[in-house]
Amino acid sequence: MKNKIIMFWAIVLIVIVSTVIIFVKPTKLGLDLVGGSRLMLEAETTQSIAKITPEVMGRLQFAIENRVNKLGVAETVVQQVGDKRLLIEIPNVTDLKEAKAFLGETAQLEFKKEGKDSDGNQIWVDTGLTGQDLQRSSLSTDQTGQWVVSLEFNDAGAKKFADLTKALVGQQMAIFFDGEIQSAPVIREAIYGGKAQISGGNSGFEYAEAERMVNLLNAGALPVPAKIVEENTVGPTLGADSIEKSKFAGIVGLGAVMLFMIAYYRLPGLIADVALIIYSLILFALFKTIPVTLTLAGIAGFILSIGMAVDANILIFERTKEELRAGRNLFTAINSGFDRAFTSIFDSNMTTIITCTILYLLGTSIVKGFALTLALGVIVSMFSAITITKNFMHLIFGTGELKYPALFGLSKDEIGKSYEATETKREKARFGILD
Amino acid sequence: MFALKRHLVHIVKYRILWMVLSAILLIPGIVAMVYSSMTYPNHAPMKVGIDYTGGTILQYGLKQKITNNDLTTTRANLEKIGVENPYLQILNVNNTQQEETKNNINSIISIRTKFIGESSEDVQNITNALSSQFETPELIQVSSVGPTMGKELFKNSFIAVALAFLGICVYLSLRFRFDYAIAAILGILHDVLFVCGAFSILGLLYNVQIDGLFITAILTVIGFSVHDTIVVFDRIRENLRYYSKKMSFGEIVDASVNQTLARSINTSLTTLITLCALYFFGGVTTKDFVLAMILGIAIGTYSSIFFCSMLIDFWNDKKNGPKPVKETVAA
Repeated sequence: MKNKIIMFWAIVLIVIVSTVIIFVKPTKLGLDLVGGSRLMLEAETTQSIAKITPEVMGRLQFAIENRVNKLGVAETVVQQVGDKRLLIEIPNVTDLKEAKAFLGETAQLEFKKEGKDSDGNQIWVDTGLTGQDLQRSSLSTDQTGQWVVSLEFNDAGAKKFADLTKALVGQQMAIFFDGEIQSAPVIREAIYGGKAQISGGNSGFEYAEAERMVNLLNAGALPVPAKIVEENTVGPTLGADSIEKSKFAGIVGLGAVMLFMIAYYRLPGLIADVALIIYSLILFALFKTIPVTLTLAGIAGFILSIGMAVDANILIFERTKEELRAGRNLFTAINSGFDRAFTSIFDSNMTTIITCTILYLLGTSIVKGFALTLALGVIVSMFSAITITKNFMHLIFGTGELKYPALFGLSKDEIGKSYEATETKREKARFGILD
Repeated sequence: MFALKRHLVHIVKYRILWMVLSAILLIPGIVAMVYSSMTYPNHAPMKVGIDYTGGTILQYGLKQKITNNDLTTTRANLEKIGVENPYLQILNVNNTQQEETKNNINSIISIRTKFIGESSEDVQNITNALSSQFETPELIQVSSVGPTMGKELFKNSFIAVALAFLGICVYLSLRFRFDYAIAAILGILHDVLFVCGAFSILGLLYNVQIDGLFITAILTVIGFSVHDTIVVFDRIRENLRYYSKKMSFGEIVDASVNQTLARSINTSLTTLITLCALYFFGGVTTKDFVLAMILGIAIGTYSSIFFCSMLIDFWNDKKNGPKPVKETVAA
């Protein structure tokens, strides 16, 4: 009995800790609930980069991360998926069109000089000086008050730029941004010190245009172009609506199950209900601690796991009832009820965990959320059914005879009537059966 | 003797009946799947959504209640601006739910087109087309899946299901016996076939499409179906240990099924209660997902009680003849 009381206080402690965690920690909500965008970018090969290596992906991820951060939205995610894809999650984005354009630009800055192709036509040819030689760029105005993009080269870039300008005095040098010519000034003298300016040609830059260029240049060019292959955007109204509905559905579902348990299993049903509430508290606290991002599918997994948690209790009570019908005293009936139901609970939950593991390993992020919440739910439910329910049953019913069979939903003459128990000596010892 | 108490269901006696009933449950779905794979242009047994085929779905929330007549106009408008074969659908927002939404959205119009890439202006064009017809349409959801992504998801889903089968099979043959594992796997196939068939029929009748979540539902159904079957098999295993000298295998199967009957039904009932709450009160986006699970769990309960236990009894008869059970008992 002493062990049982220690156990009881341990459960109380767990409940208190869980409740505190639930109040203190924020819930991580998925994009489908708060609204936002999930984009999948796929890296494309170019003539110069024929194969997407992990190194290229690393650089691409770095550049994209920089750009996503520039959007100024909290809690964004940039994650590598497979060997050539990036998953980007941007919550609460207001102007997706702009964000998408911003992410997709390769932001290749190239300096080109005059040259001739094989037919003798005038073309621009590469100089080897690119955005990779850049230290930083900033927004400023020139003497006439036009917006310009100021460039500052790194040491290597400064040297290349000095050599180039020295060689090209009197000639035009063109500045290309993403394949488009921005300006092509004539070089009057060699420029040392590694500084340059891009003006918007004759018409000049709009402020927004110049600012965007500065941001892109500072974020770094993408090593390879990347295109959006999957997109999922949920408006904030739909998200809020889904949370409300899921909450309501969860409460209705839980309430109905609890009523059913009391109606069918009486006092043990009530105990199971208390265990169910504790189960929900522990699981929710666990979600916040890990933390698990709650998505719609995740909530579905959570609500489903409630069903499975109840199942463990149902298995146990059905078994306990059988033992009582066989005329066992309460203590033995409860013990053997738990013991005999355990193999069923364990085997069936193991198969659920197997499917969840496979889903988690192979699934997309929506499916992953579902698998994780369901698997956690099943594991916690084993603890709650075996430990919490059993402890409460023993504490409440004690060790004596069952004076009021109605508490179990049984009638008096049903008890001890119709059962011929066959047990081994070892089992009798374990359940505490006295012949 | 308790185990011989009046039985509610008779597995062994009405074996033929349960076989016929399973056939009745499965055949319409199989017919629908065969018909679908012959008539659909992509030869899929079910109507598949953009998750598998690639495409873009735009959902707009509208203040006014719209009817199918409005959709005809919308379709014509969209085709005028060059959207090929748009597939339109009204998602109803019912009255009780509508009171809870702050923005007074009374209906949601869902537009499915071919994949709209990032450079395309189609989204803007579609929004403009809708604005000319309805008052302040609000773009509430965009889903877009590139064609290659769809193929990959399909492949991954197939691998996931195959691996789940294998994992369960290995686990069951370790914990029980190999023939039990086969019976459980056939039970799963029975349930999966039923749910797929049902969705094939729904696809033909109501244009219900399967998406990425459908595969999640199927895998959950697999988990549940095995869960139920194991509880029955666990009881058979236990009873075999105590009664194998006194009773025939068939009697043990019947007794075990009846002993676990209350549990099987109650468990499914409680799970169905939560699922129904999700179906009726939950979000619009998960409705089909929940429906697949409701169907799967209902059929899973049936198959574990009647179909799987019937199978192992049937095999036992073939092996040992109907009466005596003197075989070795798995611990």
